[in-house]
Amino acid sequence: MKGGGVTGKANPLARVGALFDGARDWWEHAKVWQRYLVYIGAIVFALILPAPWIGSFMSPGADWTSVLIYPVGTYILLAVGLNVVVGQAGLLDLGFVAFFAIGGYSVAYYGTQYGWNYWATVVFGIALAAVSGVILGAPTLRLRGDYLAIVTLGFGEIVRITANNTDEIGGARGITNVPHPPPMFGMKFLLDPAPYYYLMVAAIVLVIIFSVRLQKSRVGRAWAAIREDEDAAELMGVPTFKFKLLAFAIGAMIGGLAGGIYAGKAVFIEPNTFPFILSATILAAVVLGGAGNLPGVMLGAFVIAWLPERFREVDWLKDMLGGKDPSEFRILLFGGVLVLMMGLRPEGLLPSRRRKAELHEGTGGMGAMGAEVAGPETEASTEAVK
Amino acid sequence: MLLEVKDINVHYGKIAALKGISLQVNEGEIVSLIGANGAGKTTTLKTISGLRPLTSGQVLFNGEDISKLAGHKRVQLGIGQSPEGRGVFPGMTVQENLLMGAYTRKDDLTADLDEVYELFPRLAERKNQFGGTMSGGEQQMIAIGRALMTKPKVLLLDEPSMGLAPMLIAQIFSIIKEINKRGTTVLLVEQNAQQALKLSDRAYVLETGRVVKSAPGLDLLDDPQVRAAYLGGH
Ligand SMILES: Nc1ncnc2c1ncn2[C@@H]1O[C@H](COP(=O)(O)OP(=O)(O)OP(=O)(O)O)[C@@H](O)[C@H]1O
Ligand SMILES: [Mg+2]
Repeated sequence: MKGGGVTGKANPLARVGALFDGARDWWEHAKVWQRYLVYIGAIVFALILPAPWIGSFMSPGADWTSVLIYPVGTYILLAVGLNVVVGQAGLLDLGFVAFFAIGGYSVAYYGTQYGWNYWATVVFGIALAAVSGVILGAPTLRLRGDYLAIVTLGFGEIVRITANNTDEIGGARGITNVPHPPPMFGMKFLLDPAPYYYLMVAAIVLVIIFSVRLQKSRVGRAWAAIREDEDAAELMGVPTFKFKLLAFAIGAMIGGLAGGIYAGKAVFIEPNTFPFILSATILAAVVLGGAGNLPGVMLGAFVIAWLPERFREVDWLKDMLGGKDPSEFRILLFGGVLVLMMGLRPEGLLPSRRRKAELHEGTGGMGAMGAEVAGPETEASTEAVK
Repeated sequence: MLLEVKDINVHYGKIAALKGISLQVNEGEIVSLIGANGAGKTTTLKTISGLRPLTSGQVLFNGEDISKLAGHKRVQLGIGQSPEGRGVFPGMTVQENLLMGAYTRKDDLTADLDEVYELFPRLAERKNQFGGTMSGGEQQMIAIGRALMTKPKVLLLDEPSMGLAPMLIAQIFSIIKEINKRGTTVLLVEQNAQQALKLSDRAYVLETGRVVKSAPGLDLLDDPQVRAAYLGGH
């Protein structure tokens, strides 16, 4: 990657980037109590987010709380899951939507056909997703990069098409009357979206805690090593295949959980709820936000989920597009934004410092260019990690 | 015998890279593999460390057949490798890179870490710098130090002098000597045949996937054919 455009003065993203980098530097040196304050602040923020006065600006046209559940919350949950695979273990998965579908269909099918308790169907969906992750991963994770991308892409399509052609699970018509979650903590899951929102927040918080703990464990170190140099990781005694499979299974489980929670509110699911473009969108969110860094990934998912909803209602845009819904152009826009990002800030909006170092890897004298030196807006990389 | 390679054949797809290579490494030795580009030196090391599967033949370690063993398990047996092109983890600091070497170890690391920093004072100065921003020579030191942290019985070094300035090359070779003196067996792959042979107890000359010559290092230094092919003919 050419370093020139990244720290150059002409780069319009540089200022924003510097701000983010500054925040990250602060965070890395923050004390434990400061961090807990931020955690508590983030949860409080999430709880007051559905407030109507925020909604009137963020989502004037549609019900804000519903938008926060789908697409925003769902995308965030999916992105955190995909981040385990892409951001932490460095595996390219283009069929992540398959696990989302498996979780969703589990809730819909076992709930309607067998009358299972909602939570039982969610747990079963998570297990099913994990098993399919392992079945998909076992033969393919021995292959590298491009093959894996193609096979996972195929898997996503296979799951969708299979659902489409299997009458037992509703075929192309899908499944209606998907049961809602049973009441919890005095909240009833009916038409009011608020309880679903709190459920979504709880799931996201849970998955984040899980993901952070993993990242800081031996498993996380192994993933980082695999991502940075798989052969070298094996030479360090890391069972690379096993850990890649584990990343796949854990990512799949989070995808399955997202599907289960989504289906709990949706009432109705069909194969087209799970198109390939959703896999691509979540991947775009992860890359845009900064693969490997949870706040970045969540920011990316939020932006990608929310922007099209917001612009759907902007009149002058509608007029400009001849009355068409501007959100129909979102995929075109994402493509453009991603291309722009690759040029200006390839590590994503809010990357981890490590990820940045990986992408701006000095060639160490192996190639024509020397090692990258930290830009003036960041601390010298010699003080990287405490 | 610590390490024995018996008549191994290794293929990349249909292309045979190794056509029946055999070699032995005894405990405490420094053994070199020299040969032209593409002779199969790297492939030989990768097959020993388990990064490449073999088509036929055997790799024996302490008399035990390890040909089917996964690479990460061979590390625990005592095979450490510093790979060609170094393979430093760019997003990890120098210290984190070294600690990756101790990934499977549960014992106390301080003594070994200190030893690596003593062998490479340069790394001690830059513990917290990212591996990816270290210079080529420094990355070589990380790669060797990291392999040492696995506590290898035999250390496989793939072109440790690649891309280094003459001063640094001499330094790296003397460090290899020192590592060997402290009890680690070394299997060394080098383009820098002159220096490698001087250092080695024994050496093998590889040509297109075959061993064409094996002799004590100093004998090969005087061998007219070897001189002509690998030592610039002086
Ligand atoms: N990944 C690969 N795919 C296909 N062929 C390969 C691969 N790696 C090596 N080869 C081939 O195998 C043969 C031996 O390669 P190897 O890397 O072992 O040579 P080497 O002796 O280490 O050379 P050098 O001194 O240039 O490092 C070469 O002909 C090479 O082209
Ligand atoms: Mg080589």
